[in-house]
Amino acid sequence: MKKNRPLLIIEDSDEDFEVTCWALNKIGFTHPIVRATHCEEVLLLLLSGTTPADWNNLLPCLVLLDLNLPRMNGLQFLRDLRVIKSPPAIPIVVVSTSNNPSDVSTSYSLGAAGYLCKPLSLDSYVEKLRYLTHYWFDAVTLPE
Amino acid sequence: MSEANINPTQSEAPPHITAKNVDLNNCDREQIHLVNAIQPHGVLLVLNESTLSIIQVSANTESFLGLSPAAMIGQTIDCLLDNENVAALRSQLATKNLADGFSHLLTVSCVHTNERFHLFGNRIDELLLLEFERPNDTEQFSDNNHFLRLNATIQQLRGSTSLLQFIGIVVDQIRDWTGFERVMVYRFDTDGCGEVVAESKSPDLETYLDLHYPASDIPAPARRLFMLSPLRHLPDVDYLPVPLIPENPPLLNGRSVDLSYSFLRSVSVMYSGYLRNMGAKATLVLPLMKDGELWGLISCLHHSTPKYMPYESRIPVEFLAKIVSQMMNDKEKMDHYSYRYQLDQSLHQLAAALERFETFEQALVLGKTNLLTTLDAQGAVLIINGKLNLLGKTPTEQQVGLLVVWLAQQDGLVFSTRRLPHDFPLAQTFKVIASGVLSMRFSRANSDGIIWFRPEEQQEVSWAGNPNKPVEFIEEGQEIRLTPRTSFALWKEYSQGQSRLWLTCELEYAKQLRQVISYIIVNRISLLTQINAELERSNAELEAFAYVVSHDLKEPLRGIHNFAELIKIENDVPSPEKRLQRIETILSLANRMDNLLESLLKYSRIGLSELDLQSTHIGNLVSQSIDVLKKANPEMGVTFNIQPTLPIMNCDRMRVEIIFHNLILNAIKYNDKAKKTVEIGCNTSVNPAEFYVRDNGIGIPADYHEHIFQLFRRLHGSDEFGGGNGTGLTTAQKAIKRHGGRIWMESSENVGSTFYFTLAPDLISNKEVMQ
Repeated sequence: MKKNRPLLIIEDSDEDFEVTCWALNKIGFTHPIVRATHCEEVLLLLLSGTTPADWNNLLPCLVLLDLNLPRMNGLQFLRDLRVIKSPPAIPIVVVSTSNNPSDVSTSYSLGAAGYLCKPLSLDSYVEKLRYLTHYWFDAVTLPE
Repeated sequence: MSEANINPTQSEAPPHITAKNVDLNNCDREQIHLVNAIQPHGVLLVLNESTLSIIQVSANTESFLGLSPAAMIGQTIDCLLDNENVAALRSQLATKNLADGFSHLLTVSCVHTNERFHLFGNRIDELLLLEFERPNDTEQFSDNNHFLRLNATIQQLRGSTSLLQFIGIVVDQIRDWTGFERVMVYRFDTDGCGEVVAESKSPDLETYLDLHYPASDIPAPARRLFMLSPLRHLPDVDYLPVPLIPENPPLLNGRSVDLSYSFLRSVSVMYSGYLRNMGAKATLVLPLMKDGELWGLISCLHHSTPKYMPYESRIPVEFLAKIVSQMMNDKEKMDHYSYRYQLDQSLHQLAAALERFETFEQALVLGKTNLLTTLDAQGAVLIINGKLNLLGKTPTEQQVGLLVVWLAQQDGLVFSTRRLPHDFPLAQTFKVIASGVLSMRFSRANSDGIIWFRPEEQQEVSWAGNPNKPVEFIEEGQEIRLTPRTSFALWKEYSQGQSRLWLTCELEYAKQLRQVISYIIVNRISLLTQINAELERSNAELEAFAYVVSHDLKEPLRGIHNFAELIKIENDVPSPEKRLQRIETILSLANRMDNLLESLLKYSRIGLSELDLQSTHIGNLVSQSIDVLKKANPEMGVTFNIQPTLPIMNCDRMRVEIIFHNLILNAIKYNDKAKKTVEIGCNTSVNPAEFYVRDNGIGIPADYHEHIFQLFRRLHGSDEFGGGNGTGLTTAQKAIKRHGGRIWMESSENVGSTFYFTLAPDLISNKEVMQ
């Protein structure tokens, strides 16, 4: 896999984005990280088939999706993505503060590839992200 | 018929029981209509209708018509009547309906004697029966007289105010008309037992009023015959029956001619015997019909001599009986009018009590008006959830328990019997208290319901006169059996374990009370279902609320935690700017959390306290809200257009302030126009009045119209448009719902939004009610 394929984080909170970047850096994650604050912009990009320059003109290798977003929320994004004719082959992992069982099951039923509940402690968050990157970048094969 | 007074029955009864072999045990099966004999006051001819040839005649033709039976049999009717009469007869036969009884055809002259006769005809079993009777030559009533008299009687009957009074007039009038010494009205119960309910008699006669009779006194076949003929007349109890000759005409193939409708037909020996025992010499009996059923009989007795009623005198009496039958229904209704009225009153009171009280027991048993208030019963039981509540004179709880089980097996939700011990043998032990039962179950699901008890009737029937004073007429060599007094004894035996009859209006009362109760039960169930559904919904809402709240509070909390950890971790890396930045973030997150908690508190308060409704000037209230906003935000540069005629509403001032505050705040906040305008108004031409807050702001995309009222739902980043936390509209909506009103919106992107709301529940339109 191209090392310059970006990891896309859809997250409206600046603080949360900062902490996630910090944690990924801590575990030595090397892919470029790009951010979107609204689902709508991502959906438009994916629909148009164009990839912007700051994505290195490449589709993201993985998407970390927050659920609680203004306007279109994460669940609606997953739902809308499913009705696209040829959805991009990108796994989407939900990363949310919500531990509501209905959010978890709805996410999976809408095609989420995983659900990570953000813990309170930074250490646990780092641990969880370590497992997540191990799994997606060492254990499984992602599409080119 | 009771066995006690009567000899045991023969084990094998002959197939046909006629006057020759009838006794008290089998008179119920006596084929009275196939008696093959007539009374001597007229002549009967049996003819083949097409040829008018004579097949069979009564043996007494010579004394009436001047021809012996032998001279007539095989001849045509021409042997008696001249051509003119025969032609008239044929034309009558062609036009009259003779199938339902004897009809008067014409008055004829007999060729041999020149004597005049009334001629009656009946068509039965493809035979023509002709009866000849002598006209009345002594008494002369003009038709006009009859008419005037009838008219007067009917007027009098109309004026009667109760069934008893009505029947009293009937017997008096008929006695007056006919000259019979005793005229009675005899009423049948549903089981065939009877009772003398009215009597008019000459003073020297023993009264039969109020006597009760067992069903066997007037057995079923006799009741049927009474129903078929509008009038039965026996001029002389001691008559000698006149046989029909020949006994078995070849043309009838051994059949007896059916004399069901015959006026002259010979009566049952049991009947004439009974009459003789009563000392009656002549009778006239007319049926009283009600709704097509035999309700009773008008029975006229003559005691001193035989008495013959010629056709002319019978006609008006027959006519009167028919009119009485027509009027019966109304009169009977009138009879129970005041009772029915009282039952209605009680029903209303019980229904009101059922609405008012929490338990059925409080409403139906313990209240001032209870289950026994009007209904003519001495005891009642209310069964609720299988628990018995006894009221008045009832069997023991254990006995009632057994009865409840038995009643649950009976058909129908409303059940009544006047002979419980006969239907339910276990009731023998408590028949004194409960021979009659009226019961209803609320539903088929269980045995909950109400039972009323009526005591055994014998305890109650008052005997008119001295019961020990004998009225039996003893004839030589004859057993004393069939007399009214012994009949009463028979009836007493029969009516063991029997209560007074349950009236239609009483059954109706039970049915209506049942309806009221089931209506209340259904209402309670549906209310319970509704409350449960609301509870479920509110539980689900609460659960969702808890998740939303915990999620949204956790977010900043986690941020605080994370950034504090970062400071701790980065302790060894000296970078004062970075550290300060981290601390700033923590502070801002703490502020956001505080803000959230504050909003949550406001939100929950809206639902907590009671609605404090007071007359509120909405115009003033809006101005104050705007002042507050202006103070907090002096340079917002918004033009407010406030409708000058905002109404005065009965509402909760604090909550309505919150509504306007949040809606106006949003209208200002989500606006990127250079000239911001906010318009506030109210449409009072509709009910309830519709308020609105309109802006020229950014608008809301149609996709999100549904979402905007959700708690903590934002359509913008937390820092955009002055940073909302997604509680404003939810709070406003809650305050509106607390008033029973609703909120809705119209919006288009970049043009603006209008939020509408009402402060009272929508009126249900007629259309919706219809649906």
